[in-house]
Amino acid sequence: MTLWFIRGIRRGVVTTRYPAKPDTSARYLPTPPAFRPRQLTGQVADRLVAACPSSALRREDGVLIYDVGACTACGRCAAEAPHAVTASGAFELATTDRSVLIKRIPLRGEAR
Amino acid sequence: MTPLDFLYAAGAAWLAAALAGLLAARTPGGLRACCALSAVGGAAAAAGGGWSLIYGNTALVSLGAPTVTGGPLQLQATSLAGAFTALLGVVAVAIAMYAPRYHEPSLGTGLYLAAYNLALLACLGVLAAGGMVTFLVAWETMSLACYLLILRHPRSGESARGAFWFLALSEAGFLLVVAAFVILSAKTGSTSLPGIAARAAAVPGGWRAAAYLLALAGFGFKAGLVPLHVWLPEAHPVAPADGSAFLSGVVVKLGIYGIALFAFRLVVPAGTWPGLVTMGGGAVTAAIGILYAMAERDIKRFLAWSTIENAGIIVTAFGAAMIFHASGQQALWTFLLIAGIYHVANHGCYKSLLFLEAGVTEHTTGTRDMDRLGGLVRQLPRSAVIAFVGTLGIAALPPLNGFVSEWLIFQGLFQGFRTGSHLTGILIVLAAGTLGLTGGLAVYAFVRGFGIPYLGMPRTRQAAAASEAGQPVAGPGLLAVACVALAVGVPIVLAALSRAARTVTGVSLGPLLLPGKLTVIPAHADFSAFSPTYLAVFLVCALAVPALIYLAGRPRAGSVSVPVWDGGIVSFRPRMQYSAMTFSAPTRVTFDALYRPAVSVTRQSDDDPAGRSGPVHYEARVAPVFQRYLYQPAVRALEWLADLVRPIQSGDVNLYLLYVFAVILLAYLLGAV
Amino acid sequence: MTAEELRETIARQFGRSLHIRTLDTGSCAVCEQEIRLLAAPHYDLHRLGFFFTPAPRHADLLLVTGPMIRAFEVAVRKTYAAMPGPKVVVATGACALGGVYPEDPFTHGTVGAVLPVDVWIPGCPPSPLALLHGLGVAVGKLAERVRDLSFTAPDYTERAGGDS
Repeated sequence: MTLWFIRGIRRGVVTTRYPAKPDTSARYLPTPPAFRPRQLTGQVADRLVAACPSSALRREDGVLIYDVGACTACGRCAAEAPHAVTASGAFELATTDRSVLIKRIPLRGEAR
Repeated sequence: MTPLDFLYAAGAAWLAAALAGLLAARTPGGLRACCALSAVGGAAAAAGGGWSLIYGNTALVSLGAPTVTGGPLQLQATSLAGAFTALLGVVAVAIAMYAPRYHEPSLGTGLYLAAYNLALLACLGVLAAGGMVTFLVAWETMSLACYLLILRHPRSGESARGAFWFLALSEAGFLLVVAAFVILSAKTGSTSLPGIAARAAAVPGGWRAAAYLLALAGFGFKAGLVPLHVWLPEAHPVAPADGSAFLSGVVVKLGIYGIALFAFRLVVPAGTWPGLVTMGGGAVTAAIGILYAMAERDIKRFLAWSTIENAGIIVTAFGAAMIFHASGQQALWTFLLIAGIYHVANHGCYKSLLFLEAGVTEHTTGTRDMDRLGGLVRQLPRSAVIAFVGTLGIAALPPLNGFVSEWLIFQGLFQGFRTGSHLTGILIVLAAGTLGLTGGLAVYAFVRGFGIPYLGMPRTRQAAAASEAGQPVAGPGLLAVACVALAVGVPIVLAALSRAARTVTGVSLGPLLLPGKLTVIPAHADFSAFSPTYLAVFLVCALAVPALIYLAGRPRAGSVSVPVWDGGIVSFRPRMQYSAMTFSAPTRVTFDALYRPAVSVTRQSDDDPAGRSGPVHYEARVAPVFQRYLYQPAVRALEWLADLVRPIQSGDVNLYLLYVFAVILLAYLLGAV
Repeated sequence: MTAEELRETIARQFGRSLHIRTLDTGSCAVCEQEIRLLAAPHYDLHRLGFFFTPAPRHADLLLVTGPMIRAFEVAVRKTYAAMPGPKVVVATGACALGGVYPEDPFTHGTVGAVLPVDVWIPGCPPSPLALLHGLGVAVGKLAERVRDLSFTAPDYTERAGGDS
């Protein structure tokens, strides 16, 4: 009991200050991807749609429909086309409106 | 006009009922006529018993010429027997209202009803007996008639076994009772009960104690004192429901009446140790009775063990009364006698009620096993309500009658410190503690006894299909009304019982016990007081509080009414409920040393080489300690003795002729001397 | 009550003390582990006035994970009905938002098919920080961020100026 107390005093407060202050460990979190529109040709987009296992990506004419809510941050799209996909770093993704999570990303060289 | 005339009328009605049963019970009309006569007899007995409580002892009546059996028929209606007679009458009326719908008209029913009414007559004879011979003849007739009662449905040896236990132990008890009476009559020189009572004080203390102990053991066989109780759980399940109600409600009480007769009227033994023995035996009986009740799944065996428990409570009260008498506390002596008789009346009512309801349950569902029942409150609503009244009574919960009589007994026991001897005081406190344990276990047992069969979901299809159509309700209903009346009319009952007790002990407790109209001062003036009437009113008013809260807080418009949160269970299965044995598991585990269960577990996976799981068979049996360690050794000893004597029966005619010659020679020589 | 009144009520009543009932409708239990971590010293949701309770009767917020398998639907409806109003439903995890099992015959695919969801928290699993943010959004204390995110990144060749 005493040991626990002493160890605790030595270690100090480990509780995060989030949400009052940003948390320092947040940058290590796996996050949903962000896409580079200039690299998203139609072909790349099709490959990305086929690679996603959780139905987060869909291709409509000229647009990549990206459902952030369905994304599991597995990284298969990043492995498939590393030049077109990067980590977004965003983890504060809560919303009251489900449709806000469905992002439309324009493909390169195609009309919106 | 004396109460004895009512008892004559009752006796005549029951004799007529027996004949009617024998001749006419093959038709429904004859069955109803027989039961109507039985009811008339019951009403007369109840009236006579109730009246004799306040009338006092009638004069001794001798009927018939002196016969070779020792004397004429001697009858006397005493106040002490009055309470028991009233109970006999009420139970007889209730059973008479119950029987026409319970039994099928047939020859077997006719014989059964003839035996039953004969048993009623014999019980009346025991209670109204004024002489030793009358008492003993009536007692034995009652035993034989009850033996025939139990044998109503001879199936596959089960019924024969129960009846045999009853008869064997009845006869053993009878021998001891005869011995006790013979000692008394020889020492006092009289065979009439008033005569014995008058001259008993002159008998030397040792003989009195011997007579009392023989009577305690002999009547203890009938009353169900441990270890003489073994017939109760064997005989009750196999007898028909009204027979079991009669056995538990009346016949067991006759054993208690015998003990009370000897303890308070005939012998009044000197010294505290007879009282201590009685009280100790009663306390042990009560504890063991309820503990074994917890291990029973069969409703009737459960109720039989509960009868043993209550008999123990009553005998404890009587024992403590004797101790107080020996210490000079005459008021407490009288008080505990009153409390004990009150409990006799209460138990007679609610135990008979519960047995009759067990009969209804058995007939509607086809089983007596609690674990095959459930949800009967929806199938048999009226029976459930009546059974609930009986359960509240037997669990000794206020405001019903069981609470009042147990409270009075406890109040009497708590006066143990007034005996003057520390050891006696401690022993009385121990007895009170045992009764407290018993009371708590009784509540537990009867929550199980009512909750498992009546509440919850039906565990089998038979239980779900039970229907109340055509089932007797009036009989048990009458007993429920009697329970409530005994609870509500506490002042009246106590006044009557104190008048009765005065004839036995000479102490008039009426004004001390009931100073006001509604308050009772039990046991001692500066110890405690309680008013059952006010308590009942208070409880009813207390129930009004949640009702008012509900009415005031009813959901307003805009609120939503949703079901009770049940953990999100999608569908309830009957197997999810407590079973009778799991509910009593804590007790059975705690008192494991008493039950000594023999457990066998076999798993299908034991035999399977691949170890696949399958059904598990679990069996646990409570060890029958009394049969195994007391009765079987006794029987073996008897058989050994018989083996010793067997050589006499050699089968050789010449030897037998030699026996005849030797006996004649001996008689001649003795006659010449 | 209108949405505004509801929001105001929730902020007022739940801002300082919120009782959360977690409900697993068939998840792989990793979301549950992250939720459990919320009570650990590093994240400590008690300092924010959030508490876990097992009884829906005492709960203000229902935190649902899992793709809402059909076998569990009755229990979910009973749980939701047992919660007294005002109540908030938060669906969290990719399964609950309709991601991983949208076409599975044994599931509804998304919690929104059975319950009226107020806040959606994506993630697989959502980190405790994301859950804290989501709970803050549910009680109106924190602002939503994801509406303004486009999830596009600039090219390697472009200067940093895009948002991520």
